Amino acid sequence: MALARVRELTYRYPGADRPALGSVSLDLYPGEVVCLLGPSGGGKSTLLRALAGLVPHFHGGVLSGSVEVAGIDTRRTRPAELAGTVASVFQDPEDQVVLTGVEAEIAFGLENVGTPPSQIEPRVATALDMAGVRHLSARRTQELSAGELQRVCIAAALALGPELLLLDEPTSQLDPDGAKGILDVACFGRAVVVSEQRPTLALERCGRVVFLEGGRLLLDAPRGEAIEWLGEHRPAYLPEMRLGADDQDAGSGEPLVRLEHVFYAYGTRHAVGPASLTLRRGEVVALVGPNGSGKTTLAKLAAGLLEPAGGAARLNGRAAYLSQDPGRYLVCERVDEEVALGVGGDLERAGRALELVDLAGYDSRHPRDLSSGERERLGLAAVLVTDPDVLILDEPTRGVDPERKALLARLLRANADRRATLVVTHDPVFAADVADRSVSLGAAREPAHV
Amino acid sequence: MSSVPALTVLACLAAAALLADRTITVAAITVLLLVVCLRAPRRRRWPYLVGTLVSALFLFLLSPLLGSYGGVVLWDGPSVPVLGRLDVTDEELRIALFQALRLAAVGLAFAAYALLLDHDRLLQAAGKLRHSVLAVALATRLVPSLERDAAGLVEALRGRSVVVEGLRGRARLLSPLLAGSLERSLNLAESMEARGFGRPGRTRVPQPRWTGLERAAVLCGLLLVLGAVLWL
Repeated sequence: MALARVRELTYRYPGADRPALGSVSLDLYPGEVVCLLGPSGGGKSTLLRALAGLVPHFHGGVLSGSVEVAGIDTRRTRPAELAGTVASVFQDPEDQVVLTGVEAEIAFGLENVGTPPSQIEPRVATALDMAGVRHLSARRTQELSAGELQRVCIAAALALGPELLLLDEPTSQLDPDGAKGILDVACFGRAVVVSEQRPTLALERCGRVVFLEGGRLLLDAPRGEAIEWLGEHRPAYLPEMRLGADDQDAGSGEPLVRLEHVFYAYGTRHAVGPASLTLRRGEVVALVGPNGSGKTTLAKLAAGLLEPAGGAARLNGRAAYLSQDPGRYLVCERVDEEVALGVGGDLERAGRALELVDLAGYDSRHPRDLSSGERERLGLAAVLVTDPDVLILDEPTRGVDPERKALLARLLRANADRRATLVVTHDPVFAADVADRSVSLGAAREPAHV
Repeated sequence: MSSVPALTVLACLAAAALLADRTITVAAITVLLLVVCLRAPRRRRWPYLVGTLVSALFLFLLSPLLGSYGGVVLWDGPSVPVLGRLDVTDEELRIALFQALRLAAVGLAFAAYALLLDHDRLLQAAGKLRHSVLAVALATRLVPSLERDAAGLVEALRGRSVVVEGLRGRARLLSPLLAGSLERSLNLAESMEARGFGRPGRTRVPQPRWTGLERAAVLCGLLLVLGAVLWL
């Protein structure tokens, strides 16, 4: 018997000119793992929200068709009543943390669903272990890295012991080993729907694949059949890693960044180093490493945004830095003005940069009206427009679908000769696709030599 | 000291500062609370301390000009439309100092609550006041969240070769900061709903018993409030 039944589900967000989902029907069975794929804006997150009852209760809009989970009609039941039966992990861990302490954060849901008090602490401890974050139990959530926070959010969902676990890009901030571990734990003993833009790991663990595009269900098939379909119709979702990346500085271009034995600490908390890194004009370097190893800090040191506490940092030329989640940091009322901000208001250059990232025609839109994927590209345009000698991108593929990732890799490669490019990424496929070499930072608290 | 007794003591100190009649008593409470606040990390405490102390200073400087009582005129200023004659008397100065100290004491008590208390523990202990306590805790986090967002925004702009300078430049960040804050609050509300917030039948993590020291501190706080009403 199906755990969840979706029938002819059509849904339109308030004010939207087209439905986010159109006539979607599917069944989910207890214990099965379903991989939900599709381009950005294709309706994956909306389907997950419908299964959690958040659509339409929280978002409003117009819904037709039906969604039943564990025999409960989600249209007639508040999402809070479904909590425990269903647990969700959303895309942005920073925006779903309610409390300030890690343990309290995980206990929050358990308290809400009426878990007997004597069971709360043991279940919190078990969830911390499952998500591999026992060592963070006494930490404040504001102090955690994005990857650590993502694990805490997954722990909070696992603690509820749900029958249906909904994961919206749960590994977008995790290093490959961490992502494997977390998916192994999450995809065991319950029904799971996992939406992923780094689909390799999820495809290995699922029994079934659902592909959504433009709100329509293009594919709902067992894994083997789905892989054949993807190979034929959407090959970007079945990446093959190019080999040959190494961690040696063997380039011959002019060195634009030289970090020599730099280290840095936020207050008393060691962040990175001592580490050394050279970036030369003409090369694209991928900076990889586990969560909390200090990649972002090293990238900021390379961009000149932080002064090292020790060691030497030399930057020749102009650097531009694209932060993680750039969609948060938009300041203008129009897309073209946002991009032109870095070049003294030159709208012509801004227009060319927008074309590069496939946002031509968006000039007069408000930046905050764009989808999250479009905002990422807008952020990229805002740094590319400055035509920097050193381009540093921090997790530029977060939330970006495989086809767009391939386009981004081509764009970076096409202009690689003009500058030195450093890409901080957890995505091994993208790293292999875009980089001439990769450098790896060791685990947190270990000195790194790269 | 755990959060609930600490909050009780802070509330008692703030109440005593509001109820006491003597300037020296209020001044002593203010200094005590300032010392408590100085235990917080320097980077986190400065917005609260600056906000509180500047507000108190403004009250001290402006209220004598606007008041019209007291016999000994220390300074006789011009007459201003609407406000009338500006002057400062010894009585106005004394009352302004008293009110400024009261304001500082209440502000510092809030700063100590925001900076030093474990809000999660308060929420877990809140019982039927859970919704209100959570609303206050989230509102309390607004200042540090905005501070963090502002730092991120300035850094992101620096990464795009845009330097934020001067009051006008910083003022320009207010609108995006507010918009970002609203977006975050919507996402947070969605996450809370999905995690069962507001559902009946809630339970809570077992709370630790109060120690003897905590009981004594709360008793002292309550006695201070009583003393403020009767003698201080």
